Amino acid sequence: MLELTGLTAGYHGGTVLHGLDLSVPAGTVHAVVGHNGAGKTTLVHTVAGLMRPSAGTVRLDGRDLTGLPAHRIARAGIGLVPQGRRVFAGLTVDEHLRLSYRPPRRGDPERPGVWTPARVTELLPRLGERRGNRGAELSGGEQQMLALARALLGSPRLLLLDEPTEGLAPALVRQVHGLVATLAGEGIAVLLVSPSPAQAVESAGALTVLTSGRATLRMDGADARADGSALHAALELATTAV
Amino acid sequence: MDLLDGHLIPAVDGVAFGLLLFVVAAGLSLAFGTAGVLNLSHGTLYAIGAYTGAELSDGTWGGLALGLAAGTAAACLAGAGLSAATAPLARRGHLAQALLTFGLALIGGDLLIQVFGADELPVRVPEALDSSVMLLGHRYPAYRLCFIVMAVLLAAFGTWVLTRTRMGAAVRAAADDPQMLAATGRNPRAVHTGVLAAAGALAGAAGVLGAPIIGPGPGTSENVLMLSLVVVVLGGLRSLWATFFAAIAVGEVQTLGVALAPDLAPYLLFAAMAAVLVLRSRFAEPTAGHGPEDPGPDPVARLRSRLAGRVPGSRVPSRIGRLPGGAAWWRAAPLLVLLVVLISLPALLDAYSISLAGSALALGLLAVSVTILTGYAGLPTLGQTAPFAVGAYATANLAEAGWTVGPVQLALSALAAAVFAAVVGPAVIRARGTTVLMITLAVGELTGAVVNQLKSVTGGADGLVGFPATRALWGGEEMLEESELYTYALVVAVVAVSVTLLVLRSPAGKLLTGTRGAEARMRASGHPVGRYLLVAHICAGALAGVGGSLMVTVQQYLAPADVGFEIAAFALLAVVIGGTTSVIGALLGAGLIVATRDWVAGSWPGHGPLLLGVLFVATVYLLPRGLAGLRGGAGSGPPPGLPAVEDRSPSAPAQNPAGKVSP
Repeated sequence: MLELTGLTAGYHGGTVLHGLDLSVPAGTVHAVVGHNGAGKTTLVHTVAGLMRPSAGTVRLDGRDLTGLPAHRIARAGIGLVPQGRRVFAGLTVDEHLRLSYRPPRRGDPERPGVWTPARVTELLPRLGERRGNRGAELSGGEQQMLALARALLGSPRLLLLDEPTEGLAPALVRQVHGLVATLAGEGIAVLLVSPSPAQAVESAGALTVLTSGRATLRMDGADARADGSALHAALELATTAV
Repeated sequence: MDLLDGHLIPAVDGVAFGLLLFVVAAGLSLAFGTAGVLNLSHGTLYAIGAYTGAELSDGTWGGLALGLAAGTAAACLAGAGLSAATAPLARRGHLAQALLTFGLALIGGDLLIQVFGADELPVRVPEALDSSVMLLGHRYPAYRLCFIVMAVLLAAFGTWVLTRTRMGAAVRAAADDPQMLAATGRNPRAVHTGVLAAAGALAGAAGVLGAPIIGPGPGTSENVLMLSLVVVVLGGLRSLWATFFAAIAVGEVQTLGVALAPDLAPYLLFAAMAAVLVLRSRFAEPTAGHGPEDPGPDPVARLRSRLAGRVPGSRVPSRIGRLPGGAAWWRAAPLLVLLVVLISLPALLDAYSISLAGSALALGLLAVSVTILTGYAGLPTLGQTAPFAVGAYATANLAEAGWTVGPVQLALSALAAAVFAAVVGPAVIRARGTTVLMITLAVGELTGAVVNQLKSVTGGADGLVGFPATRALWGGEEMLEESELYTYALVVAVVAVSVTLLVLRSPAGKLLTGTRGAEARMRASGHPVGRYLLVAHICAGALAGVGGSLMVTVQQYLAPADVGFEIAAFALLAVVIGGTTSVIGALLGAGLIVATRDWVAGSWPGHGPLLLGVLFVATVYLLPRGLAGLRGGAGSGPPPGLPAVEDRSPSAPAQNPAGKVSP
């Protein structure tokens, strides 16, 4: 379970994220929805350790990860699927899989299940077909699969997904959300960031609307699916606030 | 077949030489591409291996094995140490790292001479190989054949590690996107350290094995660094194979080329590099010439008239970029103080010191031209000594031909340097960040090689001396007194610096600053960025040419060392001392360096490089923002500090503030 308390972060003196509290229990999907500039990616980067928070804490299953370097946070069980996918352009799919695979060591915290390259290609068969191709040669959807595979091969307890359906065809979007639901079913906590409530709401157990770095609405996923008006109202309000 | 037969030996030698360069250059390229460190002490790592190998070589296989182990280990340790030394500077950008490695190279070179002596060490190859074998009817040294085999094995092993192993994949991933490598649970810093250590080991091993080919001596480091830089620039950074072929080509030019056309060899290298750079834009980013079309005559015309026309005072500078009246006075105050001090110098100093001050002014102009490129255009350069040299040799030759009128010398020298800058400009302005350092360094070094070869114009290694002195104006007397020469230099420098300041504070300067800070936005708003940079490069070249002309006039002689790599590094250091964007700071920095160099040479002879190296290292660590930083941030002009230069670095895709990674 991921717990953020009073998380504050920003760039060069300007604060982007203002004291955010958030928790994602294991096996659930929490969607964070907000407009451009609301602080979604800052949130993801801060949790993943690519940025250092100026205040607040990041805890994973009770362990304080605040301020650790990114590679230690990754080893602690947080997998990142970044915005724009950021696959290694010069590495083949196979090299991605071998490089990202971290077999569990003794003393590692327990994980929901160990992901091996074989298991990942079983889940994402397309990657198996393109083993010899380099990252730059893949289509957008394939790159997204590869980015997901890269994160999974660390056998994470928390998966950070930053706009995973950006620029994908509708069929692929559905596939991604199906995968997210499957992974949550395996016991992984998922923090999903998206600009669009329509996409986020599909698989989310809970929703947070982020406006200018603050949580302005929290609601249950089932409620949002049943009646999207409150969610849309909050986002409209965010638009006028910006 | 006679031609082939007659040149078989140099051709095979070229392969051996090329393989040696490949092993060294692969390490340089790896450190640059992965860890982002332009390692100017890479030649020193080779020298460590070469000296160790030579010292331990006793004609037995055991001696060679011991030397290989010790030399590789020592260079590997030095590489790891380098990683530790550059780590604190990672946020400061590549320029600081490059200067630091140069300082360390100076210190390392001095220490090697302390330990092993100033002479070239003899190297004994194992006796079993100390013979010659028959190769297609020619006798050929057995060791060289054996070296070719060993170098191929070493290269194959390195290539295998890099392309076939998980470790190699991690190295390539770190070069591509260190943040994402960290997100897979690997520490990119550890990868960087490993890469620098491995690069050191490669250079060390190459040094031990290659000592019979490029032997250990005082000039080894610079020679090896220059050649491997040329290889890396020629080969690009993308593929080991390209580096391999570039290395073989350079090796052949250095051996077969020398055998076929002894006079042309250095130009061949230069021409090959220029051709490759201009024809291909593999290095970094979009080709500069492909910017959107003219946004209309307004800013470009202003830029042209102000930069290219160089008509000082003919127009009132725009109000843009001017501070309110009080602040302007405050800003001008240091300038006025400096001017008063400079004017009163002849009354205060002896003849020798006055002459030194004149040289400092010439070097100051060089430093100012570096400031324009580094601080304003965002092109950190180590190659401004090339137009500086063109200007210097132009003036010396004009004087020999009887053209002794100062303004004529200055104008023609500036013109020659500008033409030179226009020719090499397209190669320089395509690149960004550290790649510029690398390319300009190669340009400067090759210019130096040409200077040494072209004896009819440059006098070769002897330099030029005994040409008539300059006349300040038409019909004037020849200036022979130090104080006269100094006054002449001061007037020229004041005019040149005033013009530069006016231009930099005009809209043209703002355009350059904008280009440096936000190139993509400048392009998107319709500015032909490539043309701006080219014009800036040409103008900086002309200014360096004026500096070179001035130096010749003041010194009354000209030697290759006056336009060598050390001077290029001094100019860059002067700029860093001054705070990268401060013209006055660059002048002060130049003065400080000339004074320090003279004081060092006088008070502790023989250890100049060591102390200067310490000066480099100390400056980089202690003055992160130059002298301007000491004023507590009340800097003038664009904000000083090195990271700004990195803004366009192609190797930093992940530091986008909003985290929106642009394609």
